[in-house]
Amino acid sequence: MSEAPEAPFGEPEYCGYTEYADGVVPESLPNTGSDATGLERAVWDAVYEIEDPEMPVSIVDLGLIYGIGVRDIGDETEVTVRMTLTYTGCPARDMLTDDVRETAAGVEGIDDARVELVWSPEWNLSMVTDAGKESLREFGVSI
Amino acid sequence: MTELDPRDLSETEYAAVTAELETLADDQFVVAERYTDWQTRGPTLEADIAVANIAQDEYGHARLWYDLLEDLGHTEQELIWERDPASFRHATLLELGYETGGWADCVLRGYLYDVFEQLHLGALEETTYPRIADRLGKVQGEEGYHREHTESWLDRLTEDAAPGDEALVRLQAALDRLYPHALTLFEPTEHETQIVELGVRSTPLADLRGDWLAITTPFLGGLGLDVPDPELPESGVRGRDGTHTDDWERLYNEFTYTYEMLDREPRKLLVDPDEVGG
Repeated sequence: MSEAPEAPFGEPEYCGYTEYADGVVPESLPNTGSDATGLERAVWDAVYEIEDPEMPVSIVDLGLIYGIGVRDIGDETEVTVRMTLTYTGCPARDMLTDDVRETAAGVEGIDDARVELVWSPEWNLSMVTDAGKESLREFGVSI
Repeated sequence: MTELDPRDLSETEYAAVTAELETLADDQFVVAERYTDWQTRGPTLEADIAVANIAQDEYGHARLWYDLLEDLGHTEQELIWERDPASFRHATLLELGYETGGWADCVLRGYLYDVFEQLHLGALEETTYPRIADRLGKVQGEEGYHREHTESWLDRLTEDAAPGDEALVRLQAALDRLYPHALTLFEPTEHETQIVELGVRSTPLADLRGDWLAITTPFLGGLGLDVPDPELPESGVRGRDGTHTDDWERLYNEFTYTYEMLDREPRKLLVDPDEVGG
């Protein structure tokens, strides 16, 4: 009986994996709208209900919303939501931005809504709030 | 240097910004299109998923730059689907078809491009065009993973390989074939002088070539490969000036095929029945 051939590549090893850097959180972020009042408060609350399309976590807790501002233009009240995405190739980009725009526009007292997609400062894992981390852990993501 | 105002560009500024954005966007769009050739065909499931994911990243980056061209008044149709194939500005390295089963080609090409891209993006850090500056960090952050991926594959393919081993023979053949095309990464568009003078990009593409050689030559040599002559042949296609290989025409026809079908077939199908037959 012949001996088992020597493994051609030595002992098996785990594959290399990517370590996601925590990153630096700019002072103004993550923004959860905790100081917002009036109509802006109402838009923050409405947008909070939107979840990431792949994981049951609010996009506010994920740290995607950088700011919400309401202003009056003539007789119309317009809201602008500044937001980012976790990564540039996000296939749900239009779905998410449409969802945010429609949700913001649907708040009573708001006539029009705009979404401004920004990439700077760059989103990173440290922008996820404690509540967001809790939701992700419950879902089974290690964070 | 003066910051450019995206809402108030002179004709020269507009041409320079457009040419630089097209170079960035087209490189990334075309490399993504080629990577998808490997989808469902990668040598292992992990490799397959990794390449698909890198393609998705590159599409995302292309989109970021095409978005900025849309801000300047272009539509997606003009920028991709209905664009004259001879006006694309990507380097020819990115359009070449793969040799059948040529995984060495895939990882080597990825490596040659990723190092260039790192240098190209680095040369944009001082850009006078604020909208490029806003997006740069995000793209740079994601590109780091691509280099890790290609370098580790190249190491793995050549680990303990002796001269004459299949891995080295295949990699050398791929390098010989790809190298002249990789050098077209440093070819300028006709707006290069203005791009640099206006500070859209601080360094000429030609100057990045030296940095690229200083990184890639020792790395490839260390794998046991002979690096070919780093001079671009005088004749031949150049890419960024609109001259491309035949592979580009095939790739262009492939990725516009569905768009063409969507546009044309329904019209044929929806002919008013009263007008048919007479």
